[in-house]
Amino acid sequence: MMQHLTNPQLIDYIHGALAPEEDASVHAHLESCALCREEYATEVALTELLRKQAALEERDMPSTVKAAIWQQIRDARPSPATRILAWLRPAIAIPVAAAIVLAAYFGLHSQQASAAPTIDAAYLLQDHAAMNSTVPFGDRSGADAAELQSGSSGSADETAVNVQPAIYTADAGR
Amino acid sequence: MRAANAAGAASLAFAVALMCAGAVGAQGAGADGLLREAIDAPNNVSYVGQVQNTEFGQSKAEATIFRIEHDSPNLTRRWYVAPQALYGDSIISRGDTSYNVDIKRNRVIVTKDDALDDQVAQDDNFNLLANNYRAVQGADETIAGRPAASVLLVNKYTGQTVLRVWIDTQTKLVLQKEQYSSNGSVTRQMRFAQIRYVKDVPDGSFQIPTTGFTRVQGASHGTPSNDVAGAIRTAGFQARGPRYLPEGFTPIAADITTIKGIRTLHLLYSDGIRTISLFENARGAAVDLSKYTVHPATVDKQDAQYVQDGPTMLLAWAESGLHFALVGELSEDELSKIASSVVP
Repeated sequence: MMQHLTNPQLIDYIHGALAPEEDASVHAHLESCALCREEYATEVALTELLRKQAALEERDMPSTVKAAIWQQIRDARPSPATRILAWLRPAIAIPVAAAIVLAAYFGLHSQQASAAPTIDAAYLLQDHAAMNSTVPFGDRSGADAAELQSGSSGSADETAVNVQPAIYTADAGR
Repeated sequence: MRAANAAGAASLAFAVALMCAGAVGAQGAGADGLLREAIDAPNNVSYVGQVQNTEFGQSKAEATIFRIEHDSPNLTRRWYVAPQALYGDSIISRGDTSYNVDIKRNRVIVTKDDALDDQVAQDDNFNLLANNYRAVQGADETIAGRPAASVLLVNKYTGQTVLRVWIDTQTKLVLQKEQYSSNGSVTRQMRFAQIRYVKDVPDGSFQIPTTGFTRVQGASHGTPSNDVAGAIRTAGFQARGPRYLPEGFTPIAADITTIKGIRTLHLLYSDGIRTISLFENARGAAVDLSKYTVHPATVDKQDAQYVQDGPTMLLAWAESGLHFALVGELSEDELSKIASSVVP
């Protein structure tokens, strides 16, 4: 008669991990040994419980394991100097330099475009009035007064910025 | 006898017709002559007085009042009484140079305008006025206590009165003038409230203050060129001019100035009284209209903007890399029509 089954034999039998001949021998023994059948039943129940529990919850990786993994990643990362040297390889450095130059050009260009100069309308109105001086019965007293009131130094550049053309305002009553 | 009577009647009718024609001719010549004398009058008479200038906009009027001292031929001092912002300031003109005395900032701004000495241009422009306007003598009136003859200048193409001047019948000085818009309303008025003719004015009135004042060089205007085509060619960019102008208008002057480092072409068109300025630059410099109430407009189906400064309108737009501003005292429709014709 076969000796009682060991616990590892029962576990391997449950998981189908035994060789065919041993598997047949264990099966025959369980048919004739009530004690081993009881032990088998206990082991099946325990295995089933563990499977259900594993399905219900994802068990987090132990912190020590995670720490070890991160340490390995850090150990494998290149040093800053190594990375700078890697950027200076021609295959990377040339396109990067070109991109920087283009960005600088277009950035400057757009900045200039956004800061496009303007000419104060008051300056044009004043210049129009001043040019009337040779027209018969025209005079430039209005332009002179506007220039005086503007507080401008009178230079074309400053006039264009500073002129305030409004003069004395009263209801026209018309 | 009947034949003799008929011949006599015909002779009489011819004589009357001749006299009437002569009278009309004399009146026309008289009005033109008055105008010429009026333009020359400041060279011949000295005076002191008070003047009010008023510009009428669509919703308000702007006025300046100044005392004036004039010593012929070319010394003038205007001392401002109103508005408040100008009170106490003065402008002293000595020939083609003006000294704007700003007492609030303690400085004197010196500006030079060579055109004031350009007698040829002034004569040309008077001939332009004579070509485009009919001078009609109106009723005599009294202005500032002086007898004055009024002359209306009627546009030969539109029949509208554009300017009326009141001329001192004795000294020929213009004592009052009014300019009218196309709808007949007054756009600009100048009138003497008081005037007293004098033999001369003391030199001290025209002395430029120095102590405590900083002298500042103002904008100077060279003699504008009447070679408008030449100015367009030398603008430094593909400048444009209008293909349409109202009847009677012709280019009379061009000027290239640098405003804030921007080379700007200024073309001036006139019919002898009214003027239009076209400014253009190729440096992307738009006109800053932020100090005005801006209205949308259209120029050749493109968006444009216009502002009103008293009776003067400024229309601004951009096209093909050029920025334009058209300035004048015409209606918005007329300015838009001119602007739309500004093509290469």
